[in-house]
Amino acid sequence: MHRIEIEAEHDVLSLNKRLAKENREFLSKHGVIAINVMGAIGSGKTLLIEKTVEALKGEVKIGAILGDVIAKEDYERVVKHGIKAEPLNTGKECHLDAHLVHHVIEKFGDVDVLFIENVGNLICPVDFDLGEKYRVVMVSVTEGDDVVSKHPEIFRLADVIIINKVALAEAVEADVDKMVEDARKLNPKAKIIKMDLKKEIGFEEWLEWLKCALRSRGE
Amino acid sequence: MHELSYAQALLEEILRLAEENNAKRVVKIHLRIGELLLINPEQLKFCFSAISRGTVAEGAEIEIEFIKPEIVCTKCGRRFDEVIGICDCGGIVSINGGKDFLLKKVEMEVE
Ligand SMILES: Nc1nc2c(ncn2[C@@H]2O[C@H](COP(=O)(O)OP(=O)(O)OP(=O)(O)O)[C@@H](O)[C@H]2O)c(=O)[nH]1
Ligand SMILES: [Mg+2]
Ligand SMILES: [Zn+2]
Ligand SMILES: [Zn+2]
Ligand SMILES: [Zn+2]
Repeated sequence: MHRIEIEAEHDVLSLNKRLAKENREFLSKHGVIAINVMGAIGSGKTLLIEKTVEALKGEVKIGAILGDVIAKEDYERVVKHGIKAEPLNTGKECHLDAHLVHHVIEKFGDVDVLFIENVGNLICPVDFDLGEKYRVVMVSVTEGDDVVSKHPEIFRLADVIIINKVALAEAVEADVDKMVEDARKLNPKAKIIKMDLKKEIGFEEWLEWLKCALRSRGE
Repeated sequence: MHELSYAQALLEEILRLAEENNAKRVVKIHLRIGELLLINPEQLKFCFSAISRGTVAEGAEIEIEFIKPEIVCTKCGRRFDEVIGICDCGGIVSINGGKDFLLKKVEMEVE
C-alpha cells in the first residue's frame, strides 16, 4: 500500500455552469428574456408576476416557471391568468438549479418574457446560475430594514432590487430610505424600486424597466 | 441546505478519480473555495461524510483553502477586504473572483 497525490484541478460547479450556458443559448436563440425572480419568502414574488401578466396582456407574451420546495400553489395562482407555466419542485433543495430549469425550458421557446420564480430564500439560490438574463431581487419592509445589509451577495448580483410593501413601513417601523441606501451602496448599477403591489406604488416604474429590457433585446 | 448538492458533485468526481487510479481509500481532499461563494464549510464536510459512507472516500479528510476576491475602486485604485459597491471617492468598485469551487488535489492509497 502506498499513497499517491492526484492533481485534479476540477471545477466542482462545472455541471451547473454547462447547463446554465445551454439554457442561456436556447433562450437567446429564441429571443426570450428570462428573469430569475429571487427574494425573501413571502415578499411578493408571485404577486409581481401575476400583476405583470395582467398589465401586459395582449402586448407581451409571458411564461413562468415556479420553483417551490414541495407545493404547487404559486403555479396554480399563475396559470389562472391564462399563461403557459410549469411548476418545479426542488424536493429537499433550497434553490432552483440549471438542471431543473433545463428539463422544462424547451416549452418556453415562443414567449417574450420568461419569469423563473426561485425558492424564497436570500442565500441558497445566489450561486446557481439558471441561464437567466436578469436577476430581480425582491424583499419587503416586513423582513426588517436590515435585511439588505445582512445579505450583501444577493443584492450585489441583482439587476433590479425591489423593496416591496412600502405602505406597511410605518406600521413595522422600517426605514425604507435606509434599505434603498444599503442597496445602492452594495450595487450602484442596479435599478432600485420602492414598491407596494397592493397600493400600486412603483409598479409603473417596474413595467417601464421591463419594457426597456424588451426593447434592448438582442442588442 | 445547498451544501448537499455541492457535496454530491464533489463526491462524484472523487469516486471517478479513485476508480481511474485503482484507489483503495481516499485519504485527503484539497479544495479551493472563493470567499464570496455562499457555502458553509462545516455543512459541506458534514454532508460529504454522510454521503461518502460505504465508499472508498469514507472518512477522507477535507482541507479548504479560501481564495480572496479582488475588490478595487475603478477610480482611485483603493483595495477593500469587504464587499462594497461605491468607494468614498465616489468611484464604482469592481469585484472579481471569489466565486470558485475547485477540487485541487486528492490523496489516495493504492496497492
Ligand atoms: N400589504 C401588502 N401585501 C402584499 C404586497 N405584495 C404581496 N403581498 C402579500 O404578501 C403575501 C405573499 O405574497 P406572494 O406573492 O405569495 O409572495 P412570494 O414572494 O411569492 O412568497 P413565496 O413564494 O411563498 O416565497 C400575499 O398574501 C400577498 O397578497 C404588498 O405590496 N403589500
Ligand atoms: Mg411565490
Ligand atoms: Zn435531468
Ligand atoms: Zn441552502
Ligand atoms: Zn475610490
